[in-house]
Amino acid sequence: MNALKSILVAIILAITTSFQAQTADEIINNYFENTGGKENWEKLKGIKMTGVMKMQNMEIPFEQIMMTDGRQSTTIELQGNKMIWAAYDGETSWSRNQMTMEAEKNDNEATEKMKNLIKDWPSPFLNYKEKGYSIELIGNETIDGADTFKIKVTKDPIMINGKSEPNISHYYFDTENYVPIVIEEAVQDGPMKGKTIKMSISDYQEVEGLYFPFSQSSELQSIDFKEFDIDPEVDQALFAFPEGK
Amino acid sequence: MNNKFIIASLAILFCINLQAQEIVLKGKELFGNLKARQIGPALMSGRIIDLENHPTNDRIIYAGTAGGGVWKSSNGGASFSSVFDEHAQSIGVVKVDPTDPDNTIWVGTGEIWTRNSVSIGDGLYKSTDGGANWKKMGFENSERISSIQINPKNSNEIYIGVLGALWSDSSDRGVYKTIDGGKTWNKILYINQKTGANEVIIDPKNPNIVYVAMWEFRRTPWGFNSGGPNSALYKSTDAGKTWNKIHNGFPEGDLGRLALAISPSNPQIIYTVIESKENKGLYRSDDAGANWKLLNGDFGLVVRPFYFSRIVVDPKNPDILIKGGLFGSISRDGGKTFKNLGSMHADIHDIVFDINNSDRIYVGTDGGVYRSWDGGATMDMVDNLPISQFYHISVDNEEPYNIYGGLQDNGSWWGPSSSPGGIEARDWKPVGYGDGFRVLRHPSKKIIYSEMQGAQNVWRYDIDRNYTKNIKPLPIKGEAELRFNWNAPMAVSNHHPDRFYMGSQFLHISEDMGDNWKKISPDLTTNDPAKQDKESGGLSVDKSGAETHTTIFTIAESPIDQNIIWVGTDDGNVQVTQDGGKSWTNTVANIQGLPKNTWVYHIEASTHNKETAYAVFDGHTTGDMKPYVYKTTDFGKTWSSLVTNDIVGFARNIQEDYVNQDILYLGTEFGLFITIDGGKHWSRFTNNMPATAVHFIDLQKKTDDLVLGTHGRGIIIIDDISPLRKITQEVLVKDIHFFETPPFTIKEESGFGGGSTELQFKGENPNTNAKIIYYLKKRHTFGKMTLSIQDQNGNKVVDLVPGKSKGINIVNWNFRKKAPKVAAGKTLTFGGFTAPRVAAGTYNIVLTKGKNQYKSTITLQNDPISLVSEKDRIVQRKAAQQLFDDMQELAYLVYQIDQNIQSAKNVSKKDPASQKITSSVINQLVALKKTLVVTTGDNYVAEAEPQLREKLSEVYSDVTNLFEKPSSAQLENKEVLETRLHNAKEAYKNIENKQITKLNKYLEKTAGTPLKIITKEEFINK
Repeated sequence: MNALKSILVAIILAITTSFQAQTADEIINNYFENTGGKENWEKLKGIKMTGVMKMQNMEIPFEQIMMTDGRQSTTIELQGNKMIWAAYDGETSWSRNQMTMEAEKNDNEATEKMKNLIKDWPSPFLNYKEKGYSIELIGNETIDGADTFKIKVTKDPIMINGKSEPNISHYYFDTENYVPIVIEEAVQDGPMKGKTIKMSISDYQEVEGLYFPFSQSSELQSIDFKEFDIDPEVDQALFAFPEGK
Repeated sequence: MNNKFIIASLAILFCINLQAQEIVLKGKELFGNLKARQIGPALMSGRIIDLENHPTNDRIIYAGTAGGGVWKSSNGGASFSSVFDEHAQSIGVVKVDPTDPDNTIWVGTGEIWTRNSVSIGDGLYKSTDGGANWKKMGFENSERISSIQINPKNSNEIYIGVLGALWSDSSDRGVYKTIDGGKTWNKILYINQKTGANEVIIDPKNPNIVYVAMWEFRRTPWGFNSGGPNSALYKSTDAGKTWNKIHNGFPEGDLGRLALAISPSNPQIIYTVIESKENKGLYRSDDAGANWKLLNGDFGLVVRPFYFSRIVVDPKNPDILIKGGLFGSISRDGGKTFKNLGSMHADIHDIVFDINNSDRIYVGTDGGVYRSWDGGATMDMVDNLPISQFYHISVDNEEPYNIYGGLQDNGSWWGPSSSPGGIEARDWKPVGYGDGFRVLRHPSKKIIYSEMQGAQNVWRYDIDRNYTKNIKPLPIKGEAELRFNWNAPMAVSNHHPDRFYMGSQFLHISEDMGDNWKKISPDLTTNDPAKQDKESGGLSVDKSGAETHTTIFTIAESPIDQNIIWVGTDDGNVQVTQDGGKSWTNTVANIQGLPKNTWVYHIEASTHNKETAYAVFDGHTTGDMKPYVYKTTDFGKTWSSLVTNDIVGFARNIQEDYVNQDILYLGTEFGLFITIDGGKHWSRFTNNMPATAVHFIDLQKKTDDLVLGTHGRGIIIIDDISPLRKITQEVLVKDIHFFETPPFTIKEESGFGGGSTELQFKGENPNTNAKIIYYLKKRHTFGKMTLSIQDQNGNKVVDLVPGKSKGINIVNWNFRKKAPKVAAGKTLTFGGFTAPRVAAGTYNIVLTKGKNQYKSTITLQNDPISLVSEKDRIVQRKAAQQLFDDMQELAYLVYQIDQNIQSAKNVSKKDPASQKITSSVINQLVALKKTLVVTTGDNYVAEAEPQLREKLSEVYSDVTNLFEKPSSAQLENKEVLETRLHNAKEAYKNIENKQITKLNKYLEKTAGTPLKIITKEEFINK
């Protein structure tokens, strides 16, 4: 019985100490460890994500390509038409005008923001120090009913309507598996500016040794991923602004 | 062996533990994604305490509010968002660190304009990320923090002015200083337990010079005192080490509250407004406080110093200054003369000048934030600050139900719980002036009762006739004057619709909606003359009636027995009659652990047992901040406390659940608390629910919506709390539990709504969708989880996005299936986005989590008020289904055409010899396609002439959105288009038989591969 007691005590101690001793860096390290290993995340060159976006009544199939060099492209299918809806080729970011369905360049601040996203992908936490980001463990919080570590990441300031503004996000890491289950970001422009939008992420599954969340949903939209294609072959035409069109 | 044994015993131990231990879920673990809805309103907004701007970015401005936390604008005051939801919502001061203004913000909690109804604070907070996260920096017992001054050259050196407790002695007062950024604090100026610092300022050019206004003040439940021998103005020139009174030129005798300001552009010039018996008014010093001269004693400057003691000097011009007041006063000659600010809500508490342009002024009032672009001459209200301060709310039984309530200095209002396009400012209708309190709807007539402060008016308002009558009970000849509380109680009978109660020190009853009154009690209060102060205020007499005491405060008629009436008084009596008022028993002596004479804030007579009642006591006006909640099950002979350590803040209101008597809802100074086990454990509800003071709670009987009247964040609703009633230990041990739901109504509505601009607040509507409600034992994070709806035959109707939270999950289904596949054209056809509605009936819910499947059902019903017959519905459904099929048929046809055109083009490119054959295919198909879908133009003014797809999708969409039988025009139109579709298919078949067959034969001959097209079924499921 004594042995039993001491084991129980040991277990409780182990649980409590592991809980207390967490630092933001340990949590991040555990996250990378549990989702495939930091080295493998670093090796990633790009990814093609295929899925369906749900907004109100609409289900929009999409393909999104994100490259570690910052290039990205989103192709959607709307009423039988497959088209590149928005893209960034490393210099020019553009999207389609909803009236003409023709490509138009985004404003300079939006393009600048795209350029900054290079650092956020595949994760803002990956080598965050080299990127000039800082992270902070805000504390333990219950969110979506689960125990989490709330971590703040402070990124490069962004220009919004001509003024440079601080840029932070909050990630809630599940205390059980050390994966983020919620991301909170503030609306950056418009009359809702400052309002926090919460995105719940889940359905983590393994793809070639890395774990990706196959579901992301916020009050505005939800995304169901069907496939993650690692290091895909890509055509530069997917990213480039279609000149003269 | 030994190890095995230990592991086995451990396993057994855990099992036993699991079985024996009750599962108690708290907070978010229990509530899951059950979420509150904040509906404002913002049209009357609420009291603003302190405004603060950013020193270098004129777009950023902060507003500290009386009960709604801190709001931040990043667009020059056009719109604000809340940044302080999780902490005490009563704010004294907001300060931006001048050396790190983008990030470091300090907030001192606890309102400093010390009216009778103020909330309390709980300390000092700091954010280092522009308000995203906050850390408590001490001062837990300060109650009210008036000032934060940061050395502009050294962010670690900070002075805090603590006004302190309003209703009791406290040594947590005076001026505190840190030199290490808030890690440690020293009290550097303290007078006594009654005197606090109401303003601390530092010389902007020499931060070693500090001025402090100290104020002696106290409130009791029945009175207020401003002033005394300890009120004084102090100056330090050595960073707070030593202090001197600087009164040279001040009036003789006791002083009261002193407003204080320094000119930023010339720190030698200091202004103070002095409260005193003689020679009160604005004083100016031109030598940094050494000598003072009285300049002006206008009403606008000296009125109600406890409520208005803020002077603000133009940052660029030392002779332009504004004093808060009833209307606000501005001087452009250094304080010699003043005029009122432009017209806006009365009661001006704070003003800030824009950093670059002094013509731009922001003003905080009892009715929100106003902006001026012309130096205060005209004022424009910010329309998106939903910080309204309700004293009381009630609901009616209409559909949608309405909410009624009265507000601090903002009258009484009623408005809908739902409105087409959202609940807008224009949906709210006024029903009383002054300060509004209780507003009640007659149970069966279109009559509303409302009142203003101290029952100065009690209105009976006839909605249809737009007619008002004052029905206030009056004293009877030869009897005592009536004493009505500032927030006078009224009640409508559950048993006789025209019966109406009011409480003074007596309980009054009317059987004819207030035309005639009868007293049915003796004086039910202590009638203690010591608590009936008629000359409240101190140095400045302040007779508003707000301090009238020894009055009845709450009336509760039993919903079960009309002869049982409970009455609670502000001086601590809990009276009950069981014979309709013939005899009364004061039961308060039977309550254990309750300090004597504690204010009875609310009594709730149970709907389950007539012997049962709940009583909530509030001692904060004597400095007692503990919650007191009691229950009796024997008419008050015995009472038991329902308070646990889970409850934060003193309590004001309790609501019993109508169905499950173990569920209680409690409103405290810091939010909403819910118990599902009769008070053994309480959980704070925080899903979109700020830590604001909940003054009154009502539960709407038809919808099971919990409606909260908050004193700082308007009306907050938790729609349909019925899932809480079904939480049992059996449910909590299951991995997934579907809650049974009543049938959901497919509402037959399609109106217009939404007339607000993007900067006007709009309250969110309730969701009228069907709801799939389940409990998840664990948050779903790994592996696939899906949720779909199937018909009775197991055919999938639609996929939904499942909730994955631990606790209660609510998933909405808008009664729609998937939209059809639409033919590809050059542009979009908007009708094609229409998804068909399902028919009423029972559907299967299938939740798949990993390898496991969980099933339940959901039932939909037609709108009971619908005029549509079942026969007509069948015609509509059939036509809609046919048009849906037509849409997909056309989509497949166009797909085949496109595939063939593309293939022919490819062949022609590879094999120029084929050109004659391929171009024939292409030409024929292109010509056909042009009649089927638009192939040119855009979605706006360059739109092409509509073709079959556009016409078909329009009639498809119209017919699909109908509930009734389609019109004969629609059916004829459908027929015409179906004939065109049929002909088009024939035309395609012809081309297929001739040109395409020819091409295929050519390909076979030339060893090419003829095109293979997927089947229609494959195409649809693609």
